[in-house]
Parts: sequence; C-alpha cells; structure tokens
Amino acid sequence: MEVKAFEKEGVAVFQVTGEINISTSPDLKKQFEKQPSKKIVVDLEKVLYIDSSGLATLVEILKRTKSQGGSLGLSGMSDKVRSLFEITKLDKLFLVCKTQDEAVSRVK
Amino acid sequence: MKKKFQVDSDLSIVQKTSQDVLSFLRPLPLEDSVLFDIRLCLEEALINAMKYGNGLRKEVPVELDVEFAENEIRITVKDQGPGFDPKKLEACTDEKNLFRDRGRGVYLIHQLMDEVRYNEKGNSLLMVKSLKKESHPRNSKSKS
Repeated sequence: MEVKAFEKEGVAVFQVTGEINISTSPDLKKQFEKQPSKKIVVDLEKVLYIDSSGLATLVEILKRTKSQGGSLGLSGMSDKVRSLFEITKLDKLFLVCKTQDEAVSRVK
Repeated sequence: MKKKFQVDSDLSIVQKTSQDVLSFLRPLPLEDSVLFDIRLCLEEALINAMKYGNGLRKEVPVELDVEFAENEIRITVKDQGPGFDPKKLEACTDEKNLFRDRGRGVYLIHQLMDEVRYNEKGNSLLMVKSLKKESHPRNSKSKS
C-alpha cells in the first residue's frame, strides 16, 4: 500500500493505492496520526481491496477527526469497495463522494 | 476437488494463505466479484481463528478444508480455541455500534456467503458460496 499525501484548497488529501488490510492498516493509521489538518479527504480510487481492519481504521480516523471538530470525506470507491460500506452501513457515517474534487469542495 | 491446509496462527501469513486457496480454486470460472467475496470471507475467518480462537499463539494451527464443485465452494476454518457464540455478538450495523470495531468481519461473512454454519463447539466455521452458471471466466481469453 502507498499513500500520497498533499494539500488541495486547504484540505489534506490522502491518495491511497493498493490494499487496506490487516497488514497495511497500521501504516495507514500512522500516516493520519501525523496529519494535523481537520479537513481530510481519503481518495480510495486506487484501492481494490479492503477488509474489516481497513474499515475499522477509516472509522477510527473519522472518529478522531470528528472529535476535533473536523470533517472527513471519502472519494473514488470502486463498486465493490462501496458495496462493503453499504452492507456494513458505514456509508451512513461517512461523507461519500464520487470524485476527489467533489469531496474536497464538500469538506473545505 | 478437496484440499486441506494447515497454517500457523500468524497474521503475517493471512494473505499468502488466501492466495494459496484462490490458486487451488483456479480451475473454476469465477467472476472477480466472487473472488473478492471468497478472499475477504476467508481472510476474515482466518484472522478471527488466529486471533480469538488460537490467541495468536503461532504454534497453534488453523485448519482449512476447501472443497469445490461446479455449483459451489465450501470452506471450513477450524481453530483450537474454546469456541465462539455468534449470537453474543452485537449487531455491528446498529446505529449505536457503527463506531465500534467488533463483529464487522463476521457480519461481512454472513452477508457475502450463501451459507454460514458453526459447529456445536463454535470453533469451526463452514462457509458456502454458491456459483451461478453465468460467471465470466477469469482465466479464459476474450473472443473477438
């Protein structure tokens, strides 16, 4: 898994490539812990696989962001990844957007 | 076709184990979406067996029985633990539990598989995936 972090219109964008699974989730969590921004977008366009530990990591990041008064958006999910969010009803917790640009404009 | 696998309770080998199982299933013409479901459920079951069943004691094995026919895939994951009662697990999709971590893997297994059954002790999980005939083969070449 690789994470490219950059700022876009005052929003911290994390572009994740690869798999978010039990082996890679701790690395993803570390990347977010380094991030002081309260406005975050996680672009999942290049994520083709995620397991329950990956979902739990994103929930944890959302919890932390919300507790700091911030907001977090997810973008670019494949149909399969999106279906896992729908099945687990996590799509109700997150701001889910089709594109990174849309997520940035809604989070900023 | 049947195959038995036995693996240590080591989370670092979960992905390799699921790849070995998917390789064994290679003769089947499976859609990517079905492969995703099988991989995810198998990895979730393996992680639970290693973590909660065997307490991450590496030397304690997790046993896998994988069997397939034209119409279904059957995977049994067995740990050496005292057993698990899935009824005691709170619904992870309840609003009050959405922020919690426990139970999402088991819930996904129940949603993505066609049949899910525990043995009486609760340390062996059978997962069955039914296969539809109209699957697009992953290993066939497209015809022009």
